[in-house]
Amino acid sequence: MQIAEPLQIAIDELSKLPSIGKKTAQRLALHLLKTDPENVINLIKAISDLKEKIKLCSVCFNLAVDDTCDICQSTKRDKSVICVVEEASDIFAIERTNEYKGLYHVLGGVLSPLSGSSVDDLHIQELIGRLQNTEVKEIILALNPDTEGDTTSLYLAKLIKPLNIKVTRIARGIPIGGDLEFADDATIGRAVLGRSDL
Amino acid sequence: MVLKELELTSFRLHTKTVLKFSDKLNYIVGGNGQGKTTILEAIYYLCTTKNLNQALDKEVVTFNKDDFEVKGLFKEKVENKVQLLFSKETNKKNTSLNEKTVSKASNLIGKFPVVTLIQLDHAITMGSPAERRKFVDSVISQSSDTYLKTLIDYNRILKQRSQLLSNIRENYSKSLMMQLDSWTEQLVKNGTYLIEQRIAFCNGFKEYLKKSYEKIMGDKETPGIEYIFFNNNNELIEKKFFDLLNEERDNEIRRAANLIGPHRDDFLFTINGMELRKYGSQGQHKTFQIALRFGEFFFIKDKKGITPVFLMDDVFGELDTYRAQKISEYLREIGQAFITMTDFGKLEELYTGNGNLIIKVDNGIVSYEEL
Repeated sequence: MQIAEPLQIAIDELSKLPSIGKKTAQRLALHLLKTDPENVINLIKAISDLKEKIKLCSVCFNLAVDDTCDICQSTKRDKSVICVVEEASDIFAIERTNEYKGLYHVLGGVLSPLSGSSVDDLHIQELIGRLQNTEVKEIILALNPDTEGDTTSLYLAKLIKPLNIKVTRIARGIPIGGDLEFADDATIGRAVLGRSDL
Repeated sequence: MVLKELELTSFRLHTKTVLKFSDKLNYIVGGNGQGKTTILEAIYYLCTTKNLNQALDKEVVTFNKDDFEVKGLFKEKVENKVQLLFSKETNKKNTSLNEKTVSKASNLIGKFPVVTLIQLDHAITMGSPAERRKFVDSVISQSSDTYLKTLIDYNRILKQRSQLLSNIRENYSKSLMMQLDSWTEQLVKNGTYLIEQRIAFCNGFKEYLKKSYEKIMGDKETPGIEYIFFNNNNELIEKKFFDLLNEERDNEIRRAANLIGPHRDDFLFTINGMELRKYGSQGQHKTFQIALRFGEFFFIKDKKGITPVFLMDDVFGELDTYRAQKISEYLREIGQAFITMTDFGKLEELYTGNGNLIIKVDNGIVSYEEL
């Protein structure tokens, strides 16, 4: 079947988005075609604003509107702690908990020679630069608990410890509300190794 | 654990075959190329998601068809339905357990333990060290989840580290060397765990091997298994591992390869203290391979508390009557087993007690005969 060209182009562009397949793209395109012109204009504006206005924070590489992000600008945050994460999306996850009041630093990836990601590709130098500020007393490493994340944590710990700054890593183990009997053996094994005093 | 039912669709010669099995011995009988081993192949897919004879998945699909499906019903205390679908188009396997998709093969391994005795086993005693590592790793992995996960991590670390070594060789920098230290630390941490588990395994497995060898050959010959890894001279394994890596660092960079660790180790098999690989006869090799598999069966049964299913592919053809009878008697101690054989003549020599089943396979068509 021949599809009108503008529609076909819209479908092709939409299907480039992550987790959008051909059928979903078609449904979205047809929906846009039917909806009020105002809605479409708002969407276009939102998308172009997103690209134009969002930058990386010059300090922590979080997403920001200004030169620095809201968290770095805030006077209420505890400037003595920096939590190191892989991607900005990890900040959202931690912020949702409302448990953490310190600052962040986004690495932009982890060490992985196989995918060509090395120290110079990550924001490691910038992190070390921030530590020259004597206010920082603790670094919390919150990288994913896989081989690459663990190795990057080891690397950072080695780099930071000589600066006389406490380095900690977030705990790993049984999910809250999870049943012990349903957790996999490796998780339970590590949780037992990393047990804490009561 | 027993396999009650099996259903094959577009699986080699079997366009659509439904099988019901005995809880005891299932003799699968038929001429060459009639689809006997195929049944074992299908059972192996259900237990491991892998191919029994290391064939490609797409080769298993019936000629002119696009995908194959295997369904099985396992029973321990409860019934478990396992389903595996392979599609040629995507070249992907989709496994589900009780109609819920299983995301990773490693989540299924060990749930339905399986022990195989096949022609390829000759490589375990005669082939390269890699074959012996594969055997030992698969036995420990089936009985320990942590071992399997550590092994997967370790292999990942090996790949990352050798890539990094090659980067260093091309473009030396202090920063890369620091990264190497971190990868080395990971290698040693995971590798030491593997080494310690393998040592413990050999110590425990020795008795199982001895017992099953005795069942087949009597006590004239005593088999042994020994783990050969770097000589730690009673030093802590972890420390020695680090020291050796330090010594070999320049070599490793020059060759861009991981030169030390459990991925390079070997296992030594002996009979009466003599090395099997150097001095063993053909018959001794065969007996040893069978004893290894029976040992594996009882080892996993004790460790996991689940009786594995036993797959034996055309084993009796190669054995003399005496040993065939011994093995047949030994099979009484096994729970459920699937045994392929080409000719009926041999059956008379074998143990055919109550409740055993003969399954005749003729060009993918199946008929039964109860014993």
